Amino acid sequence: MAESSAPLPPAPSRKGRGSGAASPFLLREGVGGGVEAILALLVLAVLWVIPLAIPNAAFTDLVIRLSAMGLFATSLNLLVGTTGLVSFGHGMFYGFGAYSFALLMQDTSLPLWAAVLVSLAFSALLALLVGAVCIRLRTIYFAFVTLAMQMLLHSIILSWVSLTGGDQGLRGGIPRRFILGVDLSIPRNLYWASLVVLVAGLLLMRHVVASPFGTSLRMVRDNETRAAFLGITIWRAKLTVFVIAGVFAALGGMVMSLFVSGAYPELADWPLSGQAIFAIMLGGIGAFLGPLVGTLILLALNDLVTRATEYYGLALGLIILAFALGFRRGVMESVLVQARRRWPRVAGVRRG
Amino acid sequence: MDLNALAGCVSSSGCLVTQTSSGLIVGLLLFLVAAGLTLIFGVLKVVNFAHGTFYMLGAYFALSTYQFTGSYLAAVAAGCVGMGLFGIAFERFLISRAYGTNVLMQLLICYAVVLIFDDVVKMVWGADFQSMGMPPAFQVPPYFIAGGIVPPFYLVLIGVALAVALVLGVALAATRAGKIVRAAAVNPEMVSVLGINTTLLYALVFAVGGGLAGLAGALAAPVRSLTPGMGFSVLIESFIVTVIGGMGSIAGSLIAAILLGMIRSFGTIGFPLFTDELIFGFMIVVLITRPTGLFGREVV
Amino acid sequence: MRTMDGSGLRRRTLLAGAAGALAVPRIGRAQQNTVKVGMQSIISGAIALLGTSSRNAAQMAIEQVNAAGGLAGRKIELVVRDSKGQPQEAARIARELVNSDGCEILLDAEASSGAFAVQEVVRDLGVLCIHTASETSSLTADPKIRVATAFRCARQGVQDAIVGGGYTAKQATARKMTRFATCSPDYAYGRDTTKQYLDFIKHFKPDIQVIAEVWPKLGQPDFTDAITRLIQAKPQAVFSLLYAGDLSSFVNQGNVYALFTQVAMFNPNMGDYPVLNAIKAMPQGSYSGVRYLETFPDTPRNKEWGEAYRKRFNEYPTNWSWQMATAVAFLDAAAKKAGAADGKKMAQALPGLTIDSPFGVNGKITMREDHSIADYAIGWGNTVPKPPYIVDIQPGDWGEITELETEWKKKNGYV
Repeated sequence: MAESSAPLPPAPSRKGRGSGAASPFLLREGVGGGVEAILALLVLAVLWVIPLAIPNAAFTDLVIRLSAMGLFATSLNLLVGTTGLVSFGHGMFYGFGAYSFALLMQDTSLPLWAAVLVSLAFSALLALLVGAVCIRLRTIYFAFVTLAMQMLLHSIILSWVSLTGGDQGLRGGIPRRFILGVDLSIPRNLYWASLVVLVAGLLLMRHVVASPFGTSLRMVRDNETRAAFLGITIWRAKLTVFVIAGVFAALGGMVMSLFVSGAYPELADWPLSGQAIFAIMLGGIGAFLGPLVGTLILLALNDLVTRATEYYGLALGLIILAFALGFRRGVMESVLVQARRRWPRVAGVRRG
Repeated sequence: MDLNALAGCVSSSGCLVTQTSSGLIVGLLLFLVAAGLTLIFGVLKVVNFAHGTFYMLGAYFALSTYQFTGSYLAAVAAGCVGMGLFGIAFERFLISRAYGTNVLMQLLICYAVVLIFDDVVKMVWGADFQSMGMPPAFQVPPYFIAGGIVPPFYLVLIGVALAVALVLGVALAATRAGKIVRAAAVNPEMVSVLGINTTLLYALVFAVGGGLAGLAGALAAPVRSLTPGMGFSVLIESFIVTVIGGMGSIAGSLIAAILLGMIRSFGTIGFPLFTDELIFGFMIVVLITRPTGLFGREVV
Repeated sequence: MRTMDGSGLRRRTLLAGAAGALAVPRIGRAQQNTVKVGMQSIISGAIALLGTSSRNAAQMAIEQVNAAGGLAGRKIELVVRDSKGQPQEAARIARELVNSDGCEILLDAEASSGAFAVQEVVRDLGVLCIHTASETSSLTADPKIRVATAFRCARQGVQDAIVGGGYTAKQATARKMTRFATCSPDYAYGRDTTKQYLDFIKHFKPDIQVIAEVWPKLGQPDFTDAITRLIQAKPQAVFSLLYAGDLSSFVNQGNVYALFTQVAMFNPNMGDYPVLNAIKAMPQGSYSGVRYLETFPDTPRNKEWGEAYRKRFNEYPTNWSWQMATAVAFLDAAAKKAGAADGKKMAQALPGLTIDSPFGVNGKITMREDHSIADYAIGWGNTVPKPPYIVDIQPGDWGEITELETEWKKKNGYV
């Protein structure tokens, strides 16, 4: 549907394993938006009833965190996978979202939904400013400047003690955690709310990827000169996706802020950006759900490994090495490739 | 902000000498780490995020050697040579597998190495912070030069670092190996076509880079606390230096490192609360106005 | 009891079906025999040492309690988790310990932001929790942050500041020192606590002047810029809140400039074994607070405890160790008073409870009504280059501490 109106759909790449990761081939353009929405609602419905059938706090907590980190990682992949903009500092929006939302809740009397909207607007503004400065830089320099920006934000959070509480974070919890009369301080309610936010966020981002605009982004990624020649304004496309990605990362930050009932400088620190990068690599840059799957694996791994050993770094490091040297292709990409081989009609690419 | 204090310092010779020398010592140790980082990037286009780990391991190697032999010279040699060898192993077994892939794969490998060796250090040397202690030869009172205070130990460190900078500069400019390295930085395919063993060359570059980081860690071990994870802040600082100076430019990183040292040493007098923000801000301004750094060339 | 269990089991089997029958009675039995206590701390990263020293102390103390019959008859099972110093992990782990692992009591050895994150979880879950590492006073002092079931067994910034302020003023008067400089880590703890100390130093000796402030970053590898800045300012004394690895770097680098032959340093944090062991040349004639030393309080019980710890773990205990040991002792006493190992009842029993303790200034420590401890050993002394490193230790006066602390609380609007 959306693809058919795109000016020039990208030719599916038929290259071998090596370059497959970055090819548009794996972006699942086949299944229409309506089908996806129905699928998403089905999954939502199943997840919705799980805590009613089997109450398990670890599971609900995992899904809440998955919602936060999954939105964050998927939004990063809008930049990395779809547009080819490798940002090392995307965590700045996640942290900014958490802080701006928590501060609005603590210092103003705005209701929760309004605080979310206002802080999303702030995040968009920040992304616009940062993006305006960064997007014209090339590859590695873009990565550095975004990282530097995040370091700057992190150090401002640490220094501006009167506003942010510095290293101790925003203390005293988030008040009035109600939305539509539902109390989000009850974990199960927060679980349902996070599910809705996650599914809605993923569908919206999926829409961006599948839209003509998404096609333009992939053209920018594959060949800027050609894209420009075909009438795409490069800077506008890049800046737009940068702002969109920033807004969704901030949304993830807000979910996390509700989970911890506050905001802490670690949420804006760069290792979080590193984690998101690993999550999208692990899940697969070329698959839309790759970052979500990668995040899930990473979170589950974290929860299991920290139970078993105090040498968490060693264990995670070895796993990353094994992945980087051995597999190279993300989990979801491998799944998709296999699926296409077996059921080409269902999972295959329908050309626009 | 205390600009009066800054003006007062600049107009007093004692203060100038003390602060300049302290800026130099901070900057030059940083240069040793940053030089390896920039060299590796210049030749291989690899951003070695594991460089802080080289620094950390250099310091721990030196600590153990010092405890075993009692000789600071042996300790420094162990840190430097040990990390040179480590650099070769790192290049051969790990990072070389990611040549030609995207920057994210390199980042992941480095990230893994950082995580692994922080824990390895914890297993081998323990979680607590340690220090080597000042070697007896340097347990002497500081010199007074023009009213300023300069510790002899730091004079030695400044001397060693400057000598390294000089050797590195001359080697790159005048020797055959240096010319090959510079040529490889511009056009690796051509170098390879000319029959030069690039595998050896790349290993050599990592050996030098690792050795320099190890040297810095070992030299600083008598005065800095050794803890697992100590490489992180050094990595960030040397990263800033490299970016400001220009990725790939040794001279650029020397100047940027000294600049950073001076911002720190005079900054603590003039604007003690904003030195970090000032440095990040400076880096961002440089990157925006000159993305390739003050002395770098365009790299695609 | 057995027959009652049996009949209960039979009835449940009938009611709940197979799955329920397998799971429920087991939990029922487990709850009677053991009580799970969850402990979380920073066991990896730069200050992992403090986390492991907390864990060691918890193990040692819990073994003692178990050997004496357990917590009101129930053996304690310790479940330990590493938060890596990340507040979002600290929050997650606290919830997981309670919700999934079935812990009924939490021992929280998290620093700064981690402790506040755990505090919010405790507020939501209503579980009994003792913080054993956070020294930020507002955690228990600020009514907005206080939680009915959360307690603190740790030093407090403001109490340390009162004792340190009084001691510093006295030494400064004796040595005719008025020109001070400060050198503290640039973050909330460093800034707030430095200000607290200065307020109390000035309270006891109003003619003190602060002529320079230096704020190195936390974890900064090199303090040369801070040291030369201090030299330029020519103070008579330096007040510093640096701690752990940063403190040993600072002292080792200061020695290179012979800084401590020119100025006296006042630092509350040198008197902890990891710092003392890492500083290779302890300056003569500086002053430090005691965080934990086997020689203070100078009693056989304290020495015994320190020696037992060293023998067992082959390393020295830290400040976090005695705080954790004290927390376990309070759990034991609270369970005895409440007559049950029940978190809610113990939380009601804790305020006002006094226990015998090797770490009390007079052999006793009290849990006050404001959920924090009083009468623990708090003192300052002179530094010397050789063991025991800190001598002439003067204990703080708890009457004075309480009085000034109350004033401080009023000034901050906490009372």
